[in-house]
Amino acid sequence: MSSSVTRFLCETAERLPDKVAIVCRTRSATFAQLHQEALATAECLHEIGVEPGDRVGICMEKTLDQVSVILGVLFANAVVVPILPRLKQPNIQHIIENSGMSSLVTDSDRMNEVTGFADRTKLIIGHGEIDTDWPNLPYMRRFIRPRMFFDRIGNDNAAVIYSSGSTGRPKGILISHRNLADGTNIVAEYLGTNENDRICCVLSFNFDYGLNQIWQTIRKGATLYLHNLALPNDLFSLLAAQKITALPVMPVIITKMFDKRLKLATASYDFSSLRYVCTTGGRVSDVMLRDLKTTFPSAKIYSMFGLTEAFRSTYLDPAKIDSHPTSIGKAIPDCQVLVLDENGEECPPNVVGELVHRGATVTKGYWRDPETTAKVFRSHPRFPGEMLVFSGDKVRRDEEGYLYFVARGDEMIKTKGFRVSPTEVEAEVVRHPEIVDAVAFAVTNIEVGEDVACAYTTVTRQPLAEHTLKQYLKTHLPNHMVPAYLIHFESFPITGNAGKLDRKAIKQAAFERLGAEPQSVESSSVQV
Amino acid sequence: MTDLEILSNYIRNETGYEGELSPELDLLEKQILDSFSIVQWAMFIQERFGIELEAEELVRDNLSSLSNVMALVNSKRSASVGHGQNRP
Repeated sequence: MSSSVTRFLCETAERLPDKVAIVCRTRSATFAQLHQEALATAECLHEIGVEPGDRVGICMEKTLDQVSVILGVLFANAVVVPILPRLKQPNIQHIIENSGMSSLVTDSDRMNEVTGFADRTKLIIGHGEIDTDWPNLPYMRRFIRPRMFFDRIGNDNAAVIYSSGSTGRPKGILISHRNLADGTNIVAEYLGTNENDRICCVLSFNFDYGLNQIWQTIRKGATLYLHNLALPNDLFSLLAAQKITALPVMPVIITKMFDKRLKLATASYDFSSLRYVCTTGGRVSDVMLRDLKTTFPSAKIYSMFGLTEAFRSTYLDPAKIDSHPTSIGKAIPDCQVLVLDENGEECPPNVVGELVHRGATVTKGYWRDPETTAKVFRSHPRFPGEMLVFSGDKVRRDEEGYLYFVARGDEMIKTKGFRVSPTEVEAEVVRHPEIVDAVAFAVTNIEVGEDVACAYTTVTRQPLAEHTLKQYLKTHLPNHMVPAYLIHFESFPITGNAGKLDRKAIKQAAFERLGAEPQSVESSSVQV
Repeated sequence: MTDLEILSNYIRNETGYEGELSPELDLLEKQILDSFSIVQWAMFIQERFGIELEAEELVRDNLSSLSNVMALVNSKRSASVGHGQNRP
């Protein structure tokens, strides 16, 4: 019985020792090599003084070495704490201090980014030059005897992943080995991950979605191709040359892949090997969907939804993407999604309630934050003795059981006596053939409560004529939902941690463009 | 201004990079350019040198260092005046 991803690697290394597990540019490793590297890394960490249960930070570029370090920390019975390189310094400091990490593994290139706040944290080089003052894992591995001393059970801590909410400092979400193993099996089941898969990983390994690509690979004996997306044509060439079968993306990546300012080589390649494209972390607009379908006609498109507190909650059956394009689908296997009203009762169809997740992927709570944990991880009288995740997200379920995201808890717009979902406004705005993405939000207006405002980006990066855009929206939206303000952005800022649209920054910038500080906007009406 | 100066100035002005900028330096590997700014970089090169880059030319290897960009620009120029050949 395997309740940890480390055991998955041991099993696959035995079953398929010579199969290529990871490819990163010109380097690659078989499952046997990856297994040995991970064990050797664990032994190095042990020699350096990493103790079982220690949090170990990993702030590295996406390389083969990073994969070895992630697995090595787990094999050392320690806890992985990913830190996105280039995160703003106060955030790095916060993660180092809040997690209480004993050690931090980084690239020799980015020592300057992490030194300075790490007084009580040992620095370790995981990739790069060896002539530094710090222990160097690739160098140490040459002289060390790999040793298996992994002894964690499923309940033990495997990772703390920091996730930036809409307010406050990033919170660490505590994830068990069983959470990772269950999440791996569930996703492998509905995506049908198998030994013949060649997964192209453009995602970073600093959050659960990216890490899951490693787990899928070692669980099923697939091959993982690491790629840093810079120019889309390099990705297209890789997809065709390596006959990639699986491409996990996010909306921001789709936008980059089909940047209309560049000539794209999509027509000159054969992508018929591509089995699926899956995406999570935001809405897929009509433009994105059309680009994906046109370019990858053979691929199924999986639209998925989740929050790190419960890893993944829903996915939409690819066969339903045309009939239900705005749906986030139904619960993933072995999990249940409830839509509850304020009294904890199940909402009838099409009534908006809170998404509450129960099942295998519910994590252990927030690291060292019992107060916030008690707010989000709660029991429900219908399920005695069980912790559920109360997401705070507003969703509704249609008569067929398909779920629709409505808003984050604090983002509903109250206007003219209606409660308007920003997601529903955005969904209609992005149906416009020229619009790539949209973010709707409230602007205080004493007369009507709040006005609907909407920031948008376009295919051409040029603004649309406001009058015609408003006319268009008037024919597609009920009057109270038509944005009073339309604000064009050349591109949207992205959150550092997970590569989602930075809604907070977008609103802030939009408020500035509307000629008012958010504070004053919230307390008085805006005239533009 | 030489081509090299034009390119170096752009990188310094747009990214605020103040370190050493040798023509062979890999701008992506050193994180001077990222996946957003490299698109701007490609646009700038086309506009500033009056060339149009085809899909197969818009790849990392052509744009990742100042020397690679200069080689690309030169091959495009010589192709457009009718001598020389396109880069493979």
